[in-house]
Parts: sequence; C-alpha cells; structure tokens
Amino acid sequence: MELFNSESKKIISDPINVNNPISLQVLGICSALAVTIRLDQAIIMTLAVIFVLCSSNVILSLIRDYIPARVRIVIMLSVIASLVSVVDELLKAYLYDMSKQLSVFVGLIITNCIIMGRAEAFALKNGPSKAFLDGLGNGFGYGLIIIIVSFFRELFGAGTITLPDGGAGYVLWSIPESWYAAGYENIGLLVLSPGAFIILGLVIWAQREMAGIEEEA
Amino acid sequence: MHSNNYTLGFVFIVTLVLGVMLSFTKDSVKDLQDQNLKADVQKTILRSLNFEENLLLSNESIEQTFKNYIDAKCVNVEGDIVECNIEEVDIEKNEETLPIYIRKNDEKIEGIALPIAGKGLWSTIFGYIALNPDTDSVLGIQFYKHGETPGLGGEVEKKWFTDNFVNHPLEEPNGEVTYVPKKIRDENGKIISITVIKGGVDYSKSNKSAIHQVDGISGATVTADGVSDFLLEDLLRYEKTLDKIRDYGTI
Repeated sequence: MELFNSESKKIISDPINVNNPISLQVLGICSALAVTIRLDQAIIMTLAVIFVLCSSNVILSLIRDYIPARVRIVIMLSVIASLVSVVDELLKAYLYDMSKQLSVFVGLIITNCIIMGRAEAFALKNGPSKAFLDGLGNGFGYGLIIIIVSFFRELFGAGTITLPDGGAGYVLWSIPESWYAAGYENIGLLVLSPGAFIILGLVIWAQREMAGIEEEA
Repeated sequence: MHSNNYTLGFVFIVTLVLGVMLSFTKDSVKDLQDQNLKADVQKTILRSLNFEENLLLSNESIEQTFKNYIDAKCVNVEGDIVECNIEEVDIEKNEETLPIYIRKNDEKIEGIALPIAGKGLWSTIFGYIALNPDTDSVLGIQFYKHGETPGLGGEVEKKWFTDNFVNHPLEEPNGEVTYVPKKIRDENGKIISITVIKGGVDYSKSNKSAIHQVDGISGATVTADGVSDFLLEDLLRYEKTLDKIRDYGTI
C-alpha cells in the first residue's frame, strides 16, 4: 500500500528529524517564539498548524494542474488564509479562553513560512496523498520543537506544566511550595522572548548534533 | 500559459468557494461565539468584584452567579436610575445611560462595578473597575478586550498590572508592611482617579499621591497614558451616582 512504503515514511519522518522546518530550515520562528510560553498554548497551536498545513497541502495539490502559474501565490495565500480563518472562528466558539491567549498568533499562521513553503515546494508538485503526509510530517516537526521549547519555558519560567482542557488550562504539575521556601526561584527570563531564543538555540544545536549535520564555515 | 479569461475565471471560482466556506463556518458557530463573548463580559465584571475563581469556571456557573448576586441597572450623569437595555449600551460612546453593576448580599452593597473604555495605542481597551461600598477604594480592575501589542500594551490585562490597583504597600509604625487598595478620591472626597506612572510609583514618604498611582508598563507608555485618561473620564461620569451611594448607601 502506498501509505506505508519507504518513500511515504521518508516524507513523514524527514521533517520531524533531519529536515525539521524549525530547527534545520529555521522557518516559522515567529510563532515558535511567541506561543511557547505555556505548554497548552503550544499544543493547541500545533494542532491548528497541522490542520491548516494538511488541508492546504491537499487542496492545493488537488487543484495544482488547474492553477494558472501567474496567480499561484495569490491562490495559495487565499486558500491558506481561509483555512486559518476557519480555525480562528472554531477556536473562538469552542476554546474561547485559548483563543484569547493565542490572540493574534492564530491569525499569523497565514504568514508562517512553513505553510507557504510546503505549498510551493511540495504540494504543487505532488499528489494529494503525498501532500497530506508531507503536511503531517512538517506539522509534527513544527509541533515537536515548539512543544519541547514550551515545556522548558513553562517549567523553569513559571514553575508549572499546563495541558489544554477547554478552559483556562489544566495544571498537570507545579513546583511545590516547599521548593520555593527552600530558596528555589523561577527563571523570569525564560518567560520573556530572549528566553525563547536561548531555549530554541539549544534545541537547534541539540537536534543538528543528533542528526549529524554540519554547516559549512 | 493560460489565457487571461481562464485566469480571471479561476480566481473568481476559488474566491467564491472560499467565501462560501468562510461564511458557512461563521454562520454555524456565531451563536456559540456570542455566548462566549457574553460570558466573558460577565466574568470580567464578576472578577473585578472579587468573586471566587471557582464560581467562574464554566459559562453556566458564570451566568448563574451573575444572576444571583449582581444587580445591573443604568443611571444618568445626575445619579438617577434610568431605563435601559443594559446589554446593548455602547460603553464607549454612551453619555446618557451609564451601566452600573452592584454586588449585593441580602440588599447590602458589597461592591460597585463600572464599565471603562477608551483608546490605548492601537485600539479601544474595554474593562471594568470595581469599587468598595465606600466608593473610594478599589475592589478590583479587569480588562477583557483590547488590540494592544501582546507583551507590551497587552500587559494591561495581566494579573501583575491589575493587582497594582489593590496592593498599595503601607508601612505601619512598627515597620510591618500591609497592603491596602488604591484610592480614587483625594482627602476632600473629590474624584481624582488613579494615574498610571511611567517607570514606577515613587513610594518614598514625600510622595503624597502614591495611593492614587500605579506602576506603568515598560514599552507601553501610550497605552498606560490612555488607561489613566479614560479611567478619570469614566469615573467622573459616575461622580454623582458614587456620591449618592457613599452618602445614602443606595442609589
């Protein structure tokens, strides 16, 4: 079956590992820095991005032979923008607190380079099932990184681990009061943007090291 | 190369399909969104009036709490009660009918919440300020809608900023520090509101106005100045109503 041959596996696993959109292509950094303050925000953002990425890839792949080349960027943008608006409206209806926290960053999925990038580089050249897998792979690749970053930022910055629960978030674990009494302190820097840069930098370093990638000097 | 007509036709069809998809989505979730919005406003009012967080967990419990404890009505600038449809009053523009939300427990007033709204840097900021029955000290302040920059002006809705309004450090003669709410009236009972101070409040003894000041937000001076301006302007509209409540314990 086509879904499980080695090429399909490669399409889905490459972006998670050796060709990760964030840590290796360094795309989608804006939202990776902005929505990684809390784990629950990162998880919902990941789901939103996976939905948009998969659907836009499939839709664009289905109509790829009919899109006039001169207006393809406009077409890609309107498909992506419409999908993002749908996600935004659904969040406002079913996950209101989360949509308030994510605020403009849901809308900014439109400008996430990963989505336009995958549409132009992959979906317009491949069939819908491959395009779907590519969207899934890249979505997971994106999610993996922002979930790792947000885990560390929330744990060391705010002292909690929060999962999404439809409301203001379910606190899975928080650093016990006794630790604070013993002199432990949260690292406030991690909550701010510079903290995101530092953690993201470390993650990029770790992943490139593991994938065995060396930049040419 | 496709012909111009083909290109135009294609763009037209794509736009049409996407447009229908969007309006269909919006239409099917509009009611839910409106409910969330309404609950969010009520939650803001209840929060400013210092209700327990566990009463505010779901839309249903918010509505129930609101119904049980809040007396919502409208007044005019003269402090008289007037008829109005309180949910449809435009807080930003309205001058004649002013909404007022009173937290009551067995007819006893426990707090008064007033809508506040005004321009920040990019957007109109909406919120509620609640006062204690003395109509002087702040019970709470909450903002629920704004389009300010997240991390800068957007910080107005954060707890650290709103807590400023209810945590004024007061040094006792024995050196202990207690926290009291900020005040909106000066010694003569005149409403002077609370000013957001760029940088931070000077808590030295020489600064007599510290009780009417709160810390600003770094990088968001325009937003903070906006908050100071509309807070004073909105509180003054309620001056006669607040005087009445202070003097007679009712409107």
